[in-house]
Amino acid sequence: MALSGIQIYKLLPQTNCKECGFPTCLAFAMKLAAKQVELSACPYVTEESIALLAESSAPPIRLVSLKSDGYETKAGNEVVLFRHEKTFYNKPGLFVKVVDTESPEAIKAKISAADRYVVNYVGIELTVDGFAIEAASGDPEKFSAAVKLAREASKRPLILVSRDPSIISAGLKALEAGESALIHGADKSNWEVMAALAQEHKAALAVISTDLETSADLTEKIRGKGVEDLAIDPDTTGLGAMLTFNTIARRMALKKNFKPLGFPIIVFPKDLVAATQAISKYAGFVVIDDFKPDEVYPLLVLRQNIYTDPQKPIQVQPGVYEINNPNSEAPVLVTTNFSITYFSVANEVEGSGLPAWLMVCDAEGMSVLTAWAAGKFDAERIAKSVKGSDLASKVSPKRVVLPGHVAVLSGELEEELPGWDVRVGPREAVDIPKFLKEAL
Amino acid sequence: MPIEIPKDKWPGSVRQVVLGATAAEGGTRTSKVVVGGETCMPFMHFEGAIPNRPVVALEIRDRRPDDWSPLLVKTWENVIDDPAAWAKAAEEVGADAIQLTLSLTDSAGQPMSPETAVATVKAVLQASGLPLIVFGPGQSEVDNLLLVAVAEATKGERLALGICEDKNYRTIVATAMANDHVITARSPMDVNLAKQLNILISDMGLPLDRVIMDPTTGALGYGIEYGYSVMERLRLAALQGDAMTQLPMLVTPGYEAWKTKESKVGEGVPESWGDWLQRAINWETMTAIALLEAGANILVLRHPESLKQVEAAIQDLMTAPDMVSV
Amino acid sequence: MKEFTVRFDLGDKAVQVPSGTLLSEAAQLAGIDVNQPCGGQGRCGRCAVQILDGTVRRRSTLRLTTEDVALGYALACQTVVEGDVDVHVPAQEKIERRLTTDLTVAEVRVPSDYLFSADQSIRRVKLNLSEPNMDDQTDDLSRLLTALRQQVGLAPVTVSLATLRKLGGILREGQWEVTALLDTGTEVGEDLQPARLIDLLPGLVADIEPIWGAAIDIGTTTVTVWLVDLVSGQVRAQASEYNGQISRGEDVISRIVYAGKNSGDEELRQLVLATINSLIERVSQRAGEQAQDLSGRTVKAVVAGNSTMIHLLLGIPAASIRLSPFITAVNQPPLLTAQEVGIDIHPEATVDCLPGIASYVGADITAGVHASGMDLSEKITLFMDVGTNGEIVLGSEEWLVACACSAGPAFEGAGVANGMRATRGAIEEVWINNNDLEPNYRVIGGAKPAGICGSGLISLLAEMFITGIIDKAGNFNLHLETPRIREGAQGPEYVLAWKDETQTGKDIAITRVDVDNLLRTKGAIYAGYNVLAESVGVSMEMIEQMLIGGSFGKYINIEKAIQIGLLPDLPWDHFQFLGNTSVRGAYYALLDRKSRERITEIASKMTYIELSADNRFYDAFMSALFLPHTDLSKFPSVNGMFAG
Repeated sequence: MALSGIQIYKLLPQTNCKECGFPTCLAFAMKLAAKQVELSACPYVTEESIALLAESSAPPIRLVSLKSDGYETKAGNEVVLFRHEKTFYNKPGLFVKVVDTESPEAIKAKISAADRYVVNYVGIELTVDGFAIEAASGDPEKFSAAVKLAREASKRPLILVSRDPSIISAGLKALEAGESALIHGADKSNWEVMAALAQEHKAALAVISTDLETSADLTEKIRGKGVEDLAIDPDTTGLGAMLTFNTIARRMALKKNFKPLGFPIIVFPKDLVAATQAISKYAGFVVIDDFKPDEVYPLLVLRQNIYTDPQKPIQVQPGVYEINNPNSEAPVLVTTNFSITYFSVANEVEGSGLPAWLMVCDAEGMSVLTAWAAGKFDAERIAKSVKGSDLASKVSPKRVVLPGHVAVLSGELEEELPGWDVRVGPREAVDIPKFLKEAL
Repeated sequence: MPIEIPKDKWPGSVRQVVLGATAAEGGTRTSKVVVGGETCMPFMHFEGAIPNRPVVALEIRDRRPDDWSPLLVKTWENVIDDPAAWAKAAEEVGADAIQLTLSLTDSAGQPMSPETAVATVKAVLQASGLPLIVFGPGQSEVDNLLLVAVAEATKGERLALGICEDKNYRTIVATAMANDHVITARSPMDVNLAKQLNILISDMGLPLDRVIMDPTTGALGYGIEYGYSVMERLRLAALQGDAMTQLPMLVTPGYEAWKTKESKVGEGVPESWGDWLQRAINWETMTAIALLEAGANILVLRHPESLKQVEAAIQDLMTAPDMVSV
Repeated sequence: MKEFTVRFDLGDKAVQVPSGTLLSEAAQLAGIDVNQPCGGQGRCGRCAVQILDGTVRRRSTLRLTTEDVALGYALACQTVVEGDVDVHVPAQEKIERRLTTDLTVAEVRVPSDYLFSADQSIRRVKLNLSEPNMDDQTDDLSRLLTALRQQVGLAPVTVSLATLRKLGGILREGQWEVTALLDTGTEVGEDLQPARLIDLLPGLVADIEPIWGAAIDIGTTTVTVWLVDLVSGQVRAQASEYNGQISRGEDVISRIVYAGKNSGDEELRQLVLATINSLIERVSQRAGEQAQDLSGRTVKAVVAGNSTMIHLLLGIPAASIRLSPFITAVNQPPLLTAQEVGIDIHPEATVDCLPGIASYVGADITAGVHASGMDLSEKITLFMDVGTNGEIVLGSEEWLVACACSAGPAFEGAGVANGMRATRGAIEEVWINNNDLEPNYRVIGGAKPAGICGSGLISLLAEMFITGIIDKAGNFNLHLETPRIREGAQGPEYVLAWKDETQTGKDIAITRVDVDNLLRTKGAIYAGYNVLAESVGVSMEMIEQMLIGGSFGKYINIEKAIQIGLLPDLPWDHFQFLGNTSVRGAYYALLDRKSRERITEIASKMTYIELSADNRFYDAFMSALFLPHTDLSKFPSVNGMFAG
């Protein structure tokens, strides 16, 4: 179990020597508890403490990483059941499935299209992570050919799907040197051979079972053969069954430190709804049947949202937002990119029914007063944002409205923005409609 | 390997709230909706009871909406100018309840009068026997004016009335109390604010089994993660025994998803966004499914296809899987 | 650029200024003092002046009503000259010069084990020097140093040029019998400073003659000086006064901003020095001796204060304190002399600034912790010093953690429409009748009320909450039958005193905006100590004592403070009010080397926790923005009151 800062502190020398780079042993202990530093930074910690701390800091869910030329997809290392408790760390890999019975052209076309796919979400480029090749043919050669086709069309990591070791073996041989794929997978009857293959090819191995006891048995046996990078598949098409399986597996790993289930979960959802659930509820790898942008786009966005760190200040993209179709006479309102600040300002302006240009400045996600106090929201930055936009050519008269809390900046801003009429708006967002109606 | 499954035994449970009153109960509804009552996190059948399934309501308007996506307008074109027909259509496609939003102005641009609002509500009640949720336009004074009139004119129907907020709750709570209705309490995406509003309402004497909370959520891509976590936290708090959070939750994924650019705009958007109609329906469905997993009891949607998918998901999730014995 | 004339009060005070000059700058040029508590940020509205004639442009009219503007009022710090102007400067809020603390010398007990000869770093030694002759032509200084080494065992000893200049004269005047005053060294940080000769007096001074020292606390709002006889350890006089920097900004952020403008830093340094020096003069007089002699014989000063105050006192740029990642230039300044710092005591006197630990947890807190004794206690103790900034320390003899939260000045009467400081005329306690909602109040000095001070606001908020005038979220209940609840210019308000009962001739009311302000202030403090405790895994129930420092502590009514959720719902005997712990800690450090070392140790073991980096703070803050708290189970006594 993870130790608290005070518990770790008791294992440290308590000399406050500062050599670790922190002012006190307690400060260092709290950073250790938050996993933001390495214990090795302390030169005086005893062997005994190192052993105790190592045990407490081992990840309850193993980090499994699939690698190929230039790409890596990680799953695992999660520490909470609910994202607000800390955060979810490794976004589940989104894999698109192809079947080796399809024509080579179809396989190649599907993989190429998905491989090229990029969608921009709030300035982040989102893509799929890799491909799963399923051996429906039952023919090792066909499978091997499909794997080779995939490798021609994409460099992204692969999941090889078959319960037949001879087929998997053929597929693994078709891979490029140095990559680590995921074999899907092992069951009661084939686990031993599959484990040997995984070890030989440095591949990860998924175990497939609808019940948790079998899954745990399999992972234990396979680990006994020296294969550590595993995944577990609930092997179900039902939403309810998947949710229950995933939740119990995660709970066992986190709350009971039960190693046999401390692995990422791989899910083959039957439809978009099941994929949605898989992303929200604990899947580490998600394999979808079809590549459709109208499905992949929202899935990638959902994954991004669910795996946002709730501890970080919530930011919106800096830039100019148009509210109520502003024309050239509409004023330019200035605020910061802290999302709550932005939302409250935008809502009030929207609710007023009056048009405005909302200039959101990059204040590192701080509210107006905090950002001003910390020097992240000053006349220079505001002027830079205004100049960096094309507002000067869009509005006339050129009116810019500062939040009332930073009235002090009005003089400097006038100097920074010659030709602009600098006004001071209200301090609270609720007063914006009144201000827009009466003062402008 | 035998596994001892860790079961959470929660001391608390969610209150059960009934929407709609049948003739026997002094109303005219042909069906009621009962939500809440669960003693575990969403769909964890193996460790608690979930006596009532989550329900789906469809949103209708008192007149043709000015700002809806053309896709939605097309879908409801035949009924969009007639709230009664719209309600009937919603019932026909499988909604469990109707959510009627009153507009600020009538189609001529005149302020909505209490008389018109009452007439609309009565027409809807006549056309469909489903339980009815009525939201005001969202401006305190107008909400108070319209909802009081509606509440009085429909005494005993056990409507859910909204929007009750921390700056404007007294009038709506008072009228709900006097006329035997339920209220929906909306707070802006914050656990504490949700709880504070419930306390204020409870302090006025309205029993909490007549309150549904709307913690507000964002659409997928537009802040859904905040609403999602707020809901999970509220539900955890309820199960841990915090009385002021033990209320069923109503969310409006339809409203949220259909105001996004992804749903509203079909042209001039990136190709990687895919097919417009499919995307829009997926956006609404996925927003709803994510919130369902976070504990939603009532989901208000707009499109019949999303409704179908969400209803199917609810049915699946409400079936306790046999892999784990309770 | 065009120049215009700005004339004040239709008199002969007129200045020529370029177009675009701020009225506040013009006033300063004309030698007129316009009060700017917010430091010229346009936030407080206290610098309002009336434009009688002429052209100006108001950048902001925050805090002015439309009627005010129609009458010609404008904020001097936000209004620029665009033509010849006639300005009327209304009578400014007079800064009361003395605080109540100043009138009553608090009982300060000398630590029972204090022994001048053993504990004090200052030593007074009587020396018999051999007279020089033709056989012994040793120079005067070597002769003195040899005597110090041989007769009292002090070496090495440093001597200043000023002392060298008078050395020969004094040795001869005293006929080779002299009394030396030395600072034998204080462990500052990790280095032991060598002994230093402060002064040399002719002849042998009697042992009972006092040696003076000063304990100085520089608060953002108030400066306090204690004059101490180092021989007996007794505090012989105390005085407090508002920090002269107040007119240049009420909080540390405003001061830092002001210091960054033009020569604002030097101006602020001079202002606080003027305050300190006038206090030194006052305590000297009170101690009953000729003032000049006495201040000249004050040979050691220990200074406590928040990090910003120490930086400003020493003229060290403070800008980085305000800017993320919030770094001070120095937490432990070296030992200095009074001459270097600019304090009017013996020029060679040691000035020892106590160590802070971070930008927002300064020497006032390390001194306060020492004074509170929490660092030696087995009990888990929560210590808080509430001023404009609230600093909170949690811990025991084993460990200490500290944080700071920006509480805002509401409890000091600022930022509230009818708020005022706790001086004569301030309403300090309120009771409201449950049936007719009529209030009763007590005013400091028994005068007609002029406003409401911090304790009055706490008590008023509690009473309004309990009588249902406001709900738990602070919303006014407009449905109640009383003329005292009404719609004002700033929304709903409750009238505490009608205009015919007040000093000002205006109603004294508390508005919705004020209530929100107070909720935020109490919420920030409550969230601060809760998150601090939570971050180290301590629950409120585990806290065995709660010590409260700051001038805020003197007035507060525990019951009401719990009712509004400012203090946790603990048994009343858990709370203790300590008053000004900062100056008390400075006093202990002034007397006793061991105390001084303990403060160094406190500083080195105290762990600072930055709350602004913690989302839990936001959450805790939101839940504390409610009366008494969103989690009702945290305040069983308040709940019980409603149930009963």
